[in-house]
Amino acid sequence: MKKMITIALAGNPNTGKTTIFNSMTGSHQKVGNYAGVTVEKREGRCRYRGYDLHIYDLPGIYSLTAYSMDEVVARDFIIEEKPDVVIDVIDATNIARNLYLCLQFQELNVPVVAALNLNDEALAQGIDIDEKMLAEIIKIPVVKTVGINGKGISGLLDQVIDLVQKKERATYTISYGDELEEDVQAIITELVKDKDFALRYPLRWCAIRLIEKDARVRELIGEHASRDSVVRVVEARLTRIEEHFGREASLVVAEQRYGYIHGAVSEAVLHAPVNKETFTEVLDKVLLDRTVGLPVFIFILWAVFQMTFQLSVYPMLWIEAFFGWIGSLSIAFIPEGMLRSLVVDGVIAGVGGVLSFIPLIVFLFMFISILEDTGYMARAAFIMDKFLHIFGLHGQSFLPMILGFGCSVPAVMAARTLKNTRDRIITVMVTPFMSCGAKLPVYMLLAGAFFVGNSGNVVLSIYVIGVFLALLSSLFFRKTILRGDSTPFVMELPPYRMPTLKGILWHVREKTFRYLKKAGLVLLPASILIWAVTTFPRPVLDKAEVIQIEENVQVVKKQEALSQSYAGQLGRMMEPVLLPIGFDWKIGIAAITGFAAKEMVVSTLGVLYSVDADEDEKNDTLRDALRRDPHFSPLVAYVLMLFMLIVVPCFASMAAIYAEIGGRWLCFSVVFWLVLAWGVCFVVYQAGRIFGL
Amino acid sequence: MTILDLQQGDRFKVKAVRIPREVGKRLADMGFVKGAEGRVVRSALLGDPLQIKICRYDVSIRRAEAAGVEVELSAVKREGVV
Repeated sequence: MKKMITIALAGNPNTGKTTIFNSMTGSHQKVGNYAGVTVEKREGRCRYRGYDLHIYDLPGIYSLTAYSMDEVVARDFIIEEKPDVVIDVIDATNIARNLYLCLQFQELNVPVVAALNLNDEALAQGIDIDEKMLAEIIKIPVVKTVGINGKGISGLLDQVIDLVQKKERATYTISYGDELEEDVQAIITELVKDKDFALRYPLRWCAIRLIEKDARVRELIGEHASRDSVVRVVEARLTRIEEHFGREASLVVAEQRYGYIHGAVSEAVLHAPVNKETFTEVLDKVLLDRTVGLPVFIFILWAVFQMTFQLSVYPMLWIEAFFGWIGSLSIAFIPEGMLRSLVVDGVIAGVGGVLSFIPLIVFLFMFISILEDTGYMARAAFIMDKFLHIFGLHGQSFLPMILGFGCSVPAVMAARTLKNTRDRIITVMVTPFMSCGAKLPVYMLLAGAFFVGNSGNVVLSIYVIGVFLALLSSLFFRKTILRGDSTPFVMELPPYRMPTLKGILWHVREKTFRYLKKAGLVLLPASILIWAVTTFPRPVLDKAEVIQIEENVQVVKKQEALSQSYAGQLGRMMEPVLLPIGFDWKIGIAAITGFAAKEMVVSTLGVLYSVDADEDEKNDTLRDALRRDPHFSPLVAYVLMLFMLIVVPCFASMAAIYAEIGGRWLCFSVVFWLVLAWGVCFVVYQAGRIFGL
Repeated sequence: MTILDLQQGDRFKVKAVRIPREVGKRLADMGFVKGAEGRVVRSALLGDPLQIKICRYDVSIRRAEAAGVEVELSAVKREGVV
């Protein structure tokens, strides 16, 4: 007897699927990605009645077409991995649309158990479901569950084990009506001629998909021994169906499926007439109101933003202080020299840099998952869609872009909610133009030094230019390399629901680990690299010289070291490119160190201009030093701010971008950012000089 | 008559989806099939997208998609009833 059972957990979005997954598997979970796509793959295990259950949480989907990556992943999993059972979680308040998916699993020739979830909500809406009757009609066992307290889970697993133990399986599937069934049968007769193909794929499902004009299944036919005759039969049948019904065959299939479902529902489900508005409808009247909706949205956004960054301030300081302490410990224990420098300035600074982002990520994703789980996120996309659509973006792009003002790392990670690859790539590429928190110290320093009394407006102008660049670049990409029909905005507005603490913590934990894994791998080597180019080759200082200038010895050492280092040499080498946009080699070095972290530009300038230790933006001496430099002018300062706005984001962001859109698009983005940064700076600088600024 | 010709609060019955390929299929998958009953709940700030109640749930679609859903006005029109 088989002791291991693989289960695929499927269902529409917002059905409480994840809660059921969590209550089945507890903490025995693993999160990964499906090969080659950014769709999360969650698996967990549990033991039940002596069986070892492996449960795979498939992405939430509405249908098994090839409409989104999620759907492709879900159905490929069923076809290729052949799980023993599919548990389909069904939202009892919305049974028709949920059954639409459930019956497609049945067609895939895999045993299905339906978990009827959210019954309390359904009862409150006057929906009474006779699950026994329903099970009898659709020939699928139906178990009522309450995901939040785990009620019904054991009954569900009992059904799973019963199905697996059954020797012979009923292979019932719904009928599409006499007319369409004839076409289905004709295609099956053709498909069955290739025995291997018939063993690999569920033929009835293939036949129905072919009538639905599914591009992926058409590709599958390429594997069929007599593909030409299959294609011929399919084409003939499609023509017949479309002539007979007068509309696209794919729509006829959907109609028939819904027709069957409405029949089943009308027998097994009692809809009591409800004359009062639901809670969701009342709340929507306010939150989606044409006058109140937008201000409320802006307020919620502002609140999330404020809370995230205010709450993270102290934990971030603690983490930094902790690494400072570790650093001083190392100084005490490691003798002065290369090793100490590597450990303190390279490794500890690098690890500290990675970990200091954690509070931000934890709080941000806590608020995001609250917004998501309550159902507000879909409303926010609804409110913003029109505006963003003008620039070729999607309603759901607003979140990453707004988050970008705080930190590009979580912002880029949030772009995953965008299902369409094109939308996600564009959103990720333009998100860095939303000035992040680390760029602000750089702006403040430069604006404070060269635009005294007007610094606020100057910094604001940089922020506004960033937003415009983001919108215009996405429009540009939409019209050029990432052309194509805009994604339709067919998006469910789920009922408002109370989020659970467990669900939120789970979500936060998952995001944090994902960040740590990806960023740690890239950021640590990167910070060691930056350390190396700013440290080597080491300067040779004359002993007498050192004694002569003993007061400033530390500063001079650092300055010398930087200007002679590879970074310094690189800065000088780049001068021919930098001069047309008004930068000298010193600014070049500062920009290079900015790749590690944007705020490092300030400290690098501090070292280069011989300003000691405390190099924060309030330090007047650095401002004075910059002002005294004949090379600097308000124009150069402004161009440098623009450069910092547009140029390649920090390593941590690039690691996140790499994880979301992959190496090829990251390389493309880097080139795009560099070219745009240089171009904008060149135009502004040269124009400024013509006008004598 | 398409969904675009309806007023806020109007109830309708779907006659046909006239959008080719994936988008039309998507609408059908989401419940916009012949005979399905729905209601125009509201539109967003700039008149786009629309919030539609269909098959007892809320979905948002853009005007571009709404223009492709042919409907007939239902006889019963009661405001505030699910």
